[in-house]
Amino acid sequence: MTVEALDRRPVAGAPGFASRPALGWFNRNRGAIVRHAVINLFMLIILLPLAWVLVMSVKTLPDAMRGDFWPRHFDFTHYGYVFQRIATLPVNLFNSIYVTASTVLITTICAVLAGYALVHLRPRGAGLVVTALLVSLYFPVRVVSIISIYETQHWLGLINSTSGLILPYVTLQLAISVLIMRSMFQLVPHELIEAARIDGASHWRTLWMVGLPMVRNGLVVIFIVNFVAAWGEYLLCLTLIDDEAARTMPVVLAAAQGGQGQWAWPNLAAVYVIVVTPGILAFTFAQKLFFKGLMEGVVKG
Amino acid sequence: MAQTFASRRVDVSSILHADSLSRHIIVLRQGIGTWLFLVPALAFFTGYQVWPIFRVLWMSFTDYQFLANGPSHWVWFDNYNAAFRDPLMWSSLGRAALFTIMFLPGTIILPLLLAILIDRVTSPRLATLYRVVLLIPAVIPSTLIFVLWKWMYNYQSGPINHFLVDTIGLFTLQNAPQWLGGTPLTLPSIAIMEVWWGLGYHTIFFLAGLAAIPKDLPEAARIDGANEWQVFWHVTRPRLAPIMMILIVLRFGTAMAVIDEYLIFGGFNRASPTYTWTIFMYDQAFKLGLWRQGYAAAIGMIGAIAMMCVMVFLLRIFRPRG
Repeated sequence: MTVEALDRRPVAGAPGFASRPALGWFNRNRGAIVRHAVINLFMLIILLPLAWVLVMSVKTLPDAMRGDFWPRHFDFTHYGYVFQRIATLPVNLFNSIYVTASTVLITTICAVLAGYALVHLRPRGAGLVVTALLVSLYFPVRVVSIISIYETQHWLGLINSTSGLILPYVTLQLAISVLIMRSMFQLVPHELIEAARIDGASHWRTLWMVGLPMVRNGLVVIFIVNFVAAWGEYLLCLTLIDDEAARTMPVVLAAAQGGQGQWAWPNLAAVYVIVVTPGILAFTFAQKLFFKGLMEGVVKG
Repeated sequence: MAQTFASRRVDVSSILHADSLSRHIIVLRQGIGTWLFLVPALAFFTGYQVWPIFRVLWMSFTDYQFLANGPSHWVWFDNYNAAFRDPLMWSSLGRAALFTIMFLPGTIILPLLLAILIDRVTSPRLATLYRVVLLIPAVIPSTLIFVLWKWMYNYQSGPINHFLVDTIGLFTLQNAPQWLGGTPLTLPSIAIMEVWWGLGYHTIFFLAGLAAIPKDLPEAARIDGANEWQVFWHVTRPRLAPIMMILIVLRFGTAMAVIDEYLIFGGFNRASPTYTWTIFMYDQAFKLGLWRQGYAAAIGMIGAIAMMCVMVFLLRIFRPRG
């Protein structure tokens, strides 16, 4: 790949090539080469840990002990093994999927309704709501509230209940989700909403038919933000659930000590890859919408 | 009258054709309908964010112990007095601050540097590729990041020590660095992990800021003879200042209130540098004795208020002048 073709910028004030014929290709493009080298070094640093765990999941046991990056033999059986031999794993994985899906769905509905109302219905006290949401972003709510949330869940009889996790999980990223949806709906012209209303559509119908299609990118952002938060949540699950079978994947993975037997390194790595892949895949497919939404919603918000 | 109603986005036409009493009813009904949209979000927000904070504040003035059977008593500032006299309170706050100091510069400066480099990539395809790679760590959930790095830092079989011992021979198996588990290296190790995690996300933030700077501004400065550093300092930096301010304040907040990492990497050893105010609070609330949650609440409040004070201070000094 020629770096020159990718990144040629005019050098201000530099004399034309004709006057300096001795300058080679390398010297002319030194800046761009160094730049791309540094960028790619950073990219390597970002990708290397992930590549390591991916390769680890297909190593044979002796290769895993040897520690070389590239295995001498590939062994793809670990993926099947972990599901057959680790009894609680399918349950934990199901718990994670169930809790995360419910959380994402509920938070998205809450955030869309609230964002729409804050911008286009302008209830009394909207300013107060927005201020409270903003303050909650700066206050360490997650840490301090754990004491009281334990009490609440105990009172509701939801200790050791996987479904019970959904309630506190919804609020993990609720404030930021509402604020993102709010700034997304601010991009929808009032006149459009008014027009739909005058044509006799109810607020529900207006939101569904007119509003939602226009905030698509923001939806992608809050989908991913909430997925990441719920899929990896540790503190609440660790505190509220004692029962191994009721726990979600992050707590199980954090507790697993790598070494011998069922938690040998390649097995652990295989579980890791299974858990981490859905998020990366979803993001890669949705990245165009995600970036648009990020620019519209987060940066302006 | 209709004018003010219209500005509140109430259906004007229905009001104009109604008499006075039903006019009020319509306004009231539409007001309730408006709030109906907010009810789901507010219910969750109040129940699991606002109420817990006030409940914990209340608890901090009582001798509440979760596992004790008797009723709790109002003890005014006893918990706060005890906490302020507890050397662990101060050292645990200090440890959190130490971690913040290790983490904050790297997580601002490295992404800024990377963003300035990537901003000059002119090939759109390559720029997109870089952006996707940058955001990959950001879409990996927190705990999975910590677990991955816990394995990488592993003393015996982690790839980092393998590289240092077997590949380049800088250390032997006897004196290889012990990255985690309460050693002095633990906080720097966690800071490196956090910088790695935020690198891409923060770079994207700065890239968005750089994209908002008109391209002819730095060009004009260069033509006037400014070198790259001067262009950065006088043209780019002032325009990135708002983004930088938000990032510094937000990341200060996350760094001071780290808890999951310390639970996973450090545990409840009081001598460990990871025993910060968050772990101190958690230890008191869920591990020790009869779960002295009144005392734990006071610890949490002290920690939270201390860091809020610094954040307000930061917001004040970063406030744009003029």
